[in-house]
Amino acid sequence: MTHLFNQVRFGQTTVEPMKKMMLFLAVTTALLLSVTALAAPKADSANMPVDPALKLDYLCGTDSVTLTANLGLMRDGWPAGLENAEILFSAAGGGIDKPLGKSKTDQEGNAVLRVALGGLPAEKDGMITYSAHFAGKGKYGAADASVSAKPARIRLFFSIEDSVRILKVTATQRNEKGEEVAIPNETVPIYVPRLFSLLKIGEVSLDESGTGTLEFPSQIVGDTLGNLTILARIEEHDVFGFAQGQNKINWGVHKQYYKAEVPSRELWTPIAPMWMIITLIIMLAGVWAHYFYAVFELVMIKMMSEKDKPKF
Amino acid sequence: MDFQKKDPLKEFAPQLERTSIQGYAWIVFLLAVIGLGVYAFLQQVLKGHEVTGMRDNVVWGVYIVNFIFFMGVSYAGALISGTLHLFRTAWRKPIIRMAEFITIIALLIGPCFILLCIGRLDELHYLVLFGRIQSPITWDVIAISTDIFGCLIFLYLSVLRDLAALRDYEALQLPKWRKKLYSILALGYTGTPDQQKRLNRATDIMATMVIAIAIIVYSVLAWIFSVTLQPGWHSTIFGPYFVIAAVYSGSAVLIICMWVFRKVYHLEEYITKKHFVAVGVIMLVLAAFFGYFTFSDYLTKWYGSEKNDELLIQLLFRKFYWSFIISNYVGVLLPLLVIGIARLRTITNITLTAIVVIIALWLNRYLIVVPTLESPYLPIQDARPEWLEYSATWVEWSLMATGVAVFCLLFTIGSKFITIVPVTGLIAEEKKDDSLV
Repeated sequence: MTHLFNQVRFGQTTVEPMKKMMLFLAVTTALLLSVTALAAPKADSANMPVDPALKLDYLCGTDSVTLTANLGLMRDGWPAGLENAEILFSAAGGGIDKPLGKSKTDQEGNAVLRVALGGLPAEKDGMITYSAHFAGKGKYGAADASVSAKPARIRLFFSIEDSVRILKVTATQRNEKGEEVAIPNETVPIYVPRLFSLLKIGEVSLDESGTGTLEFPSQIVGDTLGNLTILARIEEHDVFGFAQGQNKINWGVHKQYYKAEVPSRELWTPIAPMWMIITLIIMLAGVWAHYFYAVFELVMIKMMSEKDKPKF
Repeated sequence: MDFQKKDPLKEFAPQLERTSIQGYAWIVFLLAVIGLGVYAFLQQVLKGHEVTGMRDNVVWGVYIVNFIFFMGVSYAGALISGTLHLFRTAWRKPIIRMAEFITIIALLIGPCFILLCIGRLDELHYLVLFGRIQSPITWDVIAISTDIFGCLIFLYLSVLRDLAALRDYEALQLPKWRKKLYSILALGYTGTPDQQKRLNRATDIMATMVIAIAIIVYSVLAWIFSVTLQPGWHSTIFGPYFVIAAVYSGSAVLIICMWVFRKVYHLEEYITKKHFVAVGVIMLVLAAFFGYFTFSDYLTKWYGSEKNDELLIQLLFRKFYWSFIISNYVGVLLPLLVIGIARLRTITNITLTAIVVIIALWLNRYLIVVPTLESPYLPIQDARPEWLEYSATWVEWSLMATGVAVFCLLFTIGSKFITIVPVTGLIAEEKKDDSLV
């Protein structure tokens, strides 16, 4: 390069070094473009077929069933949801297959459908098979999932006996004749929803009549009026799967909102310490004052030239 | 050399009037690199920061390293040009404009790398709307914007005389719009005693200001790191350490600029070995200071035996061994040897040393940022193993190359607009030269 520079005069050209220079630039530019091309995503790998996995969750409420389908795949060796995919839900039983509806997956790959409990096709023993189906789209293949469960209804009742707060839970199912009968001898955990998860506050053991009671704890914090949402659940049951009943009651401790005091001036509060503000103002004022003075001098130089103009 | 017999404007006129084929080829090459950077930037905008090597653990990478590096180069330019001006250093004239150009160009490029780090550029204005004065990030935004204005005013004051000279030089073959532009920018300066007095006063004030602001602003940048409790960052000497490292890297960039422009514009008569040795001596002193600060910082950490500091030092001496050696040994010792030993003190050797210094100082900033982030106090949950370590991607390297290309392009354009050596007063200053070096 030193040799090259020695031969090339500014504004003049010597043929040999110029050729070398152009060659050097052409090779470098080609290298840069190659890097770009290599870095571009490969079309083949991008269009490889992918088989997503479909998972179906079931939760039976008092009057409805909530079906949650999750459509996921492994992306860079890490699970990820497939967004905006249409999932078809259906229920089957007794030789009847009934479409329930469709829903699109969200960012996490979850599609949720809530259907009324009445009118769902069921086997003689009351079992219903729920299915979710993704037909496939583009490079993503089709996927299916199903789950079978018998509807269970859990109800919660509140009463006060001798100043003691009692929570009563009943669980029922329908028999072959369609009559509502008790679910006996099950253990039902009781929860209160908190900000991030469910807080378990006790368990109820159901007797032969499908009924159980719990002395309600007195120290659970509710909202400002003491309102609490109470959940009773049957979880991962072989027959009933997941079932949940819920009710509200103002048995909680009243939440107290303290009016925030005016924060003091600290490093960690919204308002800065006064010394910091004063220091900053002094520094900025000092600096900008000098800037303005310099600009003022420039303006004066300009004005002097205006004044001197007639002399030329 | 007999400057009295020469007309500097006539000699420098071709620099402004014509661009050779090589010059155009150089610009095309720079534009090609910038084009690659634009493509990389679009990839980042369209796909997000996943196209970079930055992840949950190592949230800063090459971008912030480049930000620190360019800002350092800028402050060095300000400090060197301001100091040389205030001390009326006799040999400053041929190189002071390069230092001024370095200041403003690097100052414009540096903050762009911070913008590349930000994921939500659409919410950038929140920094102004909801910025907290207690945050060093807010200080940095205020300081950098203040510094940009200051350096622009200082550069303008410094080139005013030359703008007036170019306006009045009738033999200059330039398009009308450029002559008109020179005429407007010269502000009617004719060099009357009053005008000279005011210009000198304003330039002196701004030279003082740019020195003060450069120190404050780079210290603020250091405090962004040192006010945190991160291992390797929480250090009381980070402010002066950063300032020294900045001026050190800037002096190296200045030497390379001197070499390039000396060769390209044939300024051998103006930029002599004396100038290289003078800036080289500045670089030597700064190398010694830089080595002292580096040693002091790591020694106290090593003896402190704090668990995370030990882990960091182990990381530096194992995974980053060669980078550490080049940065803190070669980068310190080479200038001491090359400039310290008279026989080795040649223009080529000094320039090659400056190149090594720049590489060492860039690695120094990399070693400040990345190893610390790779050894956090608390492990991050559910992070993939490959996220725990940082490795820059082609997007980051391309944008870094673009930053360098923009620096070179702006320097090239700047040297086409105004002479790279201040022509006015050059002869007078050279006559006064009493060979300090």
